[in-house]
Amino acid sequence: MSEVLITTGTAAPLRRRSRFFARVLRQPLGLIAFTVLVLMVLMVVVGPALLQHSPTRTSPLETLRPPSAEHWLGTDELGRDVLARIAHGGRVSLAVGLFSMLVGLFLGIAIGGSAGYFGGRTEAVLMRVVDTFMAIPAFFLILVIVTSFGNHPVMIVVTVGLGFWAQMARSVHAEFKRFRLADFVEASRALGSKHLRLMLRHILPQVMPQATVLATLGVGWAILTEAGLSYLGLGIQPPLASWGNMLQNAQAYLFRAPILAVWPGLFIALTVLSFNVLGNALRDILDPRG
Amino acid sequence: MKVRGTPYRWLVASLLAVCAAFGTAQEADTSAVLNLATNADPTLNPWAPGAVIESNLINTILFEQLTRYSPEDLTPSPMLATSWRAEDEGMSWVFELREGVVWSDGDPFDAADVAFTFNDVVLNPDLGAQSASQFSSIDRVEVIDDHAVRFVLNEPFSALPYYLASFAGIIPVHVLGEAENPLQVATFNKGTPVTTGPYKVSEFVPGSHVALVPNELYWAGEPKLAGMTFRIIPDLNTQVAEAMAGQLDVVTRLSPQNVAGIESTGALEVLRQSQNLFFFVAPNHDDPRLADVNVRQAMELAIDRQAMIEAILSGYGQVASGPVAPMLGALFNGDVQQYAYDPEAAAALLDEAGWTLGADGVRQKDGQRLSFYMPTGQFGDLVPATLLVQQFWADIGIETDVQVMEWNAYIQDVVLGRNYELTLAWWSMPPTADVAPYFSCSAAETGNNIPNYCNEELDAIMDEGRAALTLEDQIDAYSRMQDLLAVELPYLYLWWPDILTAKSVRLQGFPEITASAAFQHSFDWYVEAQ
Amino acid sequence: MTQYLVRRLAQGLVVLFLVSLLTFFLINLAPGGPSSLVDMSTTVAERNARYALFGLDRPVHERYVSWLASAVQGDLGRSINQGLPVTGLLAQRLGATLALALSALVIAGVLGILLGIVAAMNPNRWPDHVVGTVATLGMSVPNFWLGIVAIILFAVELRWLPASGIASIGRGFDVVDRIRHLILPAGVLAFGLMPNVVRVTRAAVLEVKATDYVRTARSKGLRDVKVLRKHMLRNAFVPVTAMLGLITTVLFSGSVVIESVFGYAGIGRLAIEAANGRDYPVILGVTMLAGTVVVVVNLIVDLLYVVIDPRIRHV
Repeated sequence: MSEVLITTGTAAPLRRRSRFFARVLRQPLGLIAFTVLVLMVLMVVVGPALLQHSPTRTSPLETLRPPSAEHWLGTDELGRDVLARIAHGGRVSLAVGLFSMLVGLFLGIAIGGSAGYFGGRTEAVLMRVVDTFMAIPAFFLILVIVTSFGNHPVMIVVTVGLGFWAQMARSVHAEFKRFRLADFVEASRALGSKHLRLMLRHILPQVMPQATVLATLGVGWAILTEAGLSYLGLGIQPPLASWGNMLQNAQAYLFRAPILAVWPGLFIALTVLSFNVLGNALRDILDPRG
Repeated sequence: MKVRGTPYRWLVASLLAVCAAFGTAQEADTSAVLNLATNADPTLNPWAPGAVIESNLINTILFEQLTRYSPEDLTPSPMLATSWRAEDEGMSWVFELREGVVWSDGDPFDAADVAFTFNDVVLNPDLGAQSASQFSSIDRVEVIDDHAVRFVLNEPFSALPYYLASFAGIIPVHVLGEAENPLQVATFNKGTPVTTGPYKVSEFVPGSHVALVPNELYWAGEPKLAGMTFRIIPDLNTQVAEAMAGQLDVVTRLSPQNVAGIESTGALEVLRQSQNLFFFVAPNHDDPRLADVNVRQAMELAIDRQAMIEAILSGYGQVASGPVAPMLGALFNGDVQQYAYDPEAAAALLDEAGWTLGADGVRQKDGQRLSFYMPTGQFGDLVPATLLVQQFWADIGIETDVQVMEWNAYIQDVVLGRNYELTLAWWSMPPTADVAPYFSCSAAETGNNIPNYCNEELDAIMDEGRAALTLEDQIDAYSRMQDLLAVELPYLYLWWPDILTAKSVRLQGFPEITASAAFQHSFDWYVEAQ
Repeated sequence: MTQYLVRRLAQGLVVLFLVSLLTFFLINLAPGGPSSLVDMSTTVAERNARYALFGLDRPVHERYVSWLASAVQGDLGRSINQGLPVTGLLAQRLGATLALALSALVIAGVLGILLGIVAAMNPNRWPDHVVGTVATLGMSVPNFWLGIVAIILFAVELRWLPASGIASIGRGFDVVDRIRHLILPAGVLAFGLMPNVVRVTRAAVLEVKATDYVRTARSKGLRDVKVLRKHMLRNAFVPVTAMLGLITTVLFSGSVVIESVFGYAGIGRLAIEAANGRDYPVILGVTMLAGTVVVVVNLIVDLLYVVIDPRIRHV
């Protein structure tokens, strides 16, 4: 709709490696965020195997216990081990974030890219579809789909991805449009390259830095969105734990055991914060003008 | 249940009510406006489908019924009807109507309103009126004269006066009679309806509040509050926060987790009320594994229901031995088969029935596994309760596949479609032992008999109870019914929860026995002057 | 310019048509149905009778055509669960949401631009880092969580502000009272929006700072503040305006959750009630309204560019 959308920057031609690392080193916050995320991933991948407690084992006689040697973070309202749930829930929340982002990224590049590359009628049609999705506030769309079609984890991932792809498509579209007549693309076309090859081998790499930044921020957004859906009871459903639904369960105990809301809230905030810091750092690294 | 066991309290309460009725001016603060909360915009018509939770208490104040519950023992007592009697061996009931009652627009109330409410609304199958199926024993209502009606039945229905006290408000024929669909008149349902109750609607601001003011035409005189405001607050935590900040005088359906917080303010007290309401796990009797009574009994024995009550209800509830709650007094039979938590006995029973532990930890027999599809809906405590039950059964080798569904989809698919093997839910019933709508063969498949349980012996006993016109005969029939229901376990009974209501300590004349009784007697409410 | 306007309006209409088509079929093809038509004790016969009353037994495409036919005449139908006309419901709620959204926008805009400028004037020094951290934090905390914490802190513990609602009941129209009710929800919303504004402002100011005319101006000896005022702000407003356009969508999304937490009767809560209650006409109505607002705001934003920066021309 807005033809002069500010794109988050313009990808300069690929830079030399040494300068790339120099830039990375000038982003200490980004490095810290990256480290936090690596630790977080380690925790959710390896953690559950090391923990002795099951995240779903209920125990009605041991509810709301404070932290102890047995339960490091205490137990929740059904007597489940909070630490085990944080680790398992993190696995689900991070997976939802990553896969939703991939769905959004894929759709965004495929549709935005085609529109920008082919132009003409294809562009007109595809961009109206993009506009349509931009016109429905993402959360409305997600709300409608999830209340209608249920909250199977795959459904949540696809839906959250759907809430995100249009924005991606718009940026990618603008970039593809810019590059499709660039000299190096023209040259390759003259040599007889096919459309798909041109798009994937020549234009896509130019778009990637910016897409990476958007995607990184997108993971954080997706995790927050799942948490918001959970607050409304529409997110990932039990017995599966997610940080979002842990936070939702904690709602009922807000006045009695507020600590239950603190742990998942903390992990969500820390993770999303890290993705955002990393995204901003990447923006500066990959595209200093942005 | 502060109420039960302390007769003095009732004496005191009644005395207070009497004092209040005679208007001891220094006692009551007549300028007080009571603040209450509801979770969504109510629909101000007791028979409009849906919107029950947010509407039924406010409708109870506005729309009076033929009968209401006595605050002492919940027996039906006069409201718009002054007396009633069964005729034709229980095949018809005559209700004498109160004279001098006028609608809030000044029109007189008479038998035509009652006939309209039932003949044209409740019994009209095209309208699908709320809880109309509870009145399926009524054939028609005949007008005898302006102040008497006859309910003509198609089968005996001794609990009729009880059911008429349960969310069965009378609506005005002179306002709704001409409407194409009397249940969908927006100016009525969402505006200022014409009512007979002690308070009437003065303002309905959608999304914000409904304001009530005294009905100066009320038949018993002027009520004692300057008004009431039902504020619409969807988030329960926000309701509690408002109450703790002193902005609400009554909070109904309080979550047990918030009792301590509410009581800590000192300005509010929490009443433990009861209701004829039981939570259950419904086994689908179409499944041959669950049709075996030994399996059902084993499953009941394997659940530590007291522990569940502690965990989920913070102890505010009682292990249920059947569907009929102890609040029913003489009609309640507690001396039935009990299933105290005993996982060993449960395991033994299953072994005996041929279900032996397999290598995967799940019991099996003849190649079949004791593994069940257990959908549940997102509503109240259903999900956590289901997760606890799942663990107890896993401990004795019964596997359940729990699927959490959105509430509408759950009702359509599980409740109406019977697409489940086990499911945890609840029934809320009028305070009578007549539970036929939930247990009889005729209610299986398409009615409220969700488990599709059918037992002719049980049906015969329930018919006896419906036809019994004396309390002794009813006690006899219903006590045998409860014996049988406890052995047979058509539903696996879980608990009778306490219904928690927080009210301002200054609010008096508020019957403590049940929330519906309290709201049916809103005329008696008053606020102590400070 | 006129031609551009006409084209954009036509595109907008196409988009709205697609929005309605998408939404209508999404909600109607899903299992389940309007919540007022069923509850625990509903029997199959009662359910069927109620469906017939609302015409829900007709085929989906037929229902869409009749919905569209009345929609183009401005009649969005009646809410199934509430029995009220949808246009009336929307009108009632829109004002409240606009008040909330505008307050949040103003807070986010003013604070965001100020902080963004502060950050850009001190790139990579401590004020920049502090602003960056606060802003990123705003993007990272779940807003409903923040909302509940705010209620407990400011309404229950400190009792400074009301916990919920739009206005105190029975007080008539009282501006101070309304503003007191707005502070918490608008503040929480703004906290989540601000980071975008900060980031874009900072980037824009940095970019402008690097451009020739500012350098020239500085070399002419103008002081920083003056340079900033004279040259940079106007240019920086271009991307900020664009951001505001995007934020409208975010606001609609954000209001869904925030209005629930604060019991604020706006469009967002109507959306939730409708989605949870499967109130088809209301879901459609809310989506169409949101779509229209987004389309119109985007158009206005694009036109604003021309006003702010005459170098941009629309063809």
